[in-house]
Amino acid sequence: DSGTGLHHCGEMFRAVFRLSATGARTPVATRCYSHGKVESDEEFDARWVTYFSKPDIDAWELKKGMNTLIGYDLVPEAKILDSALRACRRLNDMASAIRILEAIKDKAGPHKDIYPYLIQELKPTLTELGISTPEELGMDRL
Amino acid sequence: MSLPKPVMRGLLGKRLRFHLPIAFTLSLAAAIAFKYTVTEPRKQAYADFYKQYDATKEFNAMREAGIFESVRPSGE
Repeated sequence: DSGTGLHHCGEMFRAVFRLSATGARTPVATRCYSHGKVESDEEFDARWVTYFSKPDIDAWELKKGMNTLIGYDLVPEAKILDSALRACRRLNDMASAIRILEAIKDKAGPHKDIYPYLIQELKPTLTELGISTPEELGMDRL
Repeated sequence: MSLPKPVMRGLLGKRLRFHLPIAFTLSLAAAIAFKYTVTEPRKQAYADFYKQYDATKEFNAMREAGIFESVRPSGE
């Protein structure tokens, strides 16, 4: 019954707005189900860490995963990016590793505090895997 | 001195929740302003012009000016 489904969808969006107004965090991937629970942030993060942790992940899955992730209204958590960078290492894909760093800087948009924080969190992984940042390579300037 | 964790989720949603109502309101205001400063005065100007318009008098003036082919000035 699509009528009540859409009605619940509308109610859910209104509920989402009310939640945000009170300062509570809204789950990011709010899909309009007439049934089923909304996924929590932790479940979302865990799902993506698992996706990139697949030992025999292939290049297509890496690209598809990153492009899907970039489409969401969020900057991925450090643990998801760590998992993605390790997938790049397994695929011997240095280019994608650096591209991921460029992408998250772009995703942060006007919020300039996000990228330095993520580099800080990822520093051990970047050092371990030998990944240079775009800044270190002079690639962050035109 | 390590950086604190910033907010990383829902940033676009937050921006849209703030800016979209403003955008819609301003657009509506622009449309209303245009209606009452441009289109309504124009419609009124046409109405005022045609309120006292005498089609026959205007036709005869044009006829005497000789611009028609189907009817010549009354003198000829």
